[in-house]
Amino acid sequence: MMDCSRFEEILFLSCDDGQLEKEIVVSYRRHIELCPDCARRAAFANRLLALVRERCRRASAPERLRRRILSSLPHRTGDVRGREGP
Amino acid sequence: MSNSRSSQPEVDQRSGWDFEAATMPFVDSLYNTAYRMTRNAQDAEDLVQETYLKAYRHYDKFQEGNNLKAWLFKIMKNTFINNYRKQQKVPPQSDFADVEGALENRVRGDATERIKNPEEEILESIVDEQVQEALDSLPPDYRMAVVLADLENFSYKEIAEILDVPVGTVMSRLYRGRKQLEEAMLEYARERGYIRSGEPAKMRSRSDDSGDGDEKSA
Repeated sequence: MMDCSRFEEILFLSCDDGQLEKEIVVSYRRHIELCPDCARRAAFANRLLALVRERCRRASAPERLRRRILSSLPHRTGDVRGREGP
Repeated sequence: MSNSRSSQPEVDQRSGWDFEAATMPFVDSLYNTAYRMTRNAQDAEDLVQETYLKAYRHYDKFQEGNNLKAWLFKIMKNTFINNYRKQQKVPPQSDFADVEGALENRVRGDATERIKNPEEEILESIVDEQVQEALDSLPPDYRMAVVLADLENFSYKEIAEILDVPVGTVMSRLYRGRKQLEEAMLEYARERGYIRSGEPAKMRSRSDDSGDGDEKSA
């Protein structure tokens, strides 16, 4: 059976439960069913990580960068640019 | 390739267009991660550009059927480390003993604090900039793991491949990175008065000093 200190060790991985060994997932789930402190702790940590995902806004790569990349690729810049059409 | 317009460049040309079609969909992901790693738009652009050129050059070594996105990220990670090693801006393989020590202390200190408001309010109180700042403040190895897992949704296995480390190392970096992230965010909440110091934490109550939890020991 998992105890609180063992639970603490996987707390910040519990959101990846699809990737953890089945036995670990089963035993931590069983643990948080019985331990309200750890259940709160896990809920908070996971909400917090969800917040990180939400709030770290993703920018599109600047158009300038796309152009820069494309125009530097040899098949576009090299001696064979005539193929740009169909 | 100096004899242009002959039939010779045809193959290169075709793989060039293939390369472009296959890799350009990942430019946003690469740019976002580059930005999180360099923390600077110009450096991020340079890093992504360099990544594309290297990837192009080595595209023939990419095995069809493998994970192209992970392959590109791996090239970018290596480029990042090499560039920074040259510039000595950031130690590529930093020794985290200090950081971890500091972390332990903070975690311990945390046990003497009490949360004044419910968790909801703490989370509400954190603004976007603080989330970004907290992430940016992580040591590079931890930040990279967190960005790849939580923002780019790579699996442990893929991250291990990108970073060239065992899965166990990925897990421990992720664990520590996320834990530090939480610490940093709680710190913001504390600064804004959502958490008061000096009393036992509800959130973090340790099993050994609160006797009322069921199922405390195995």
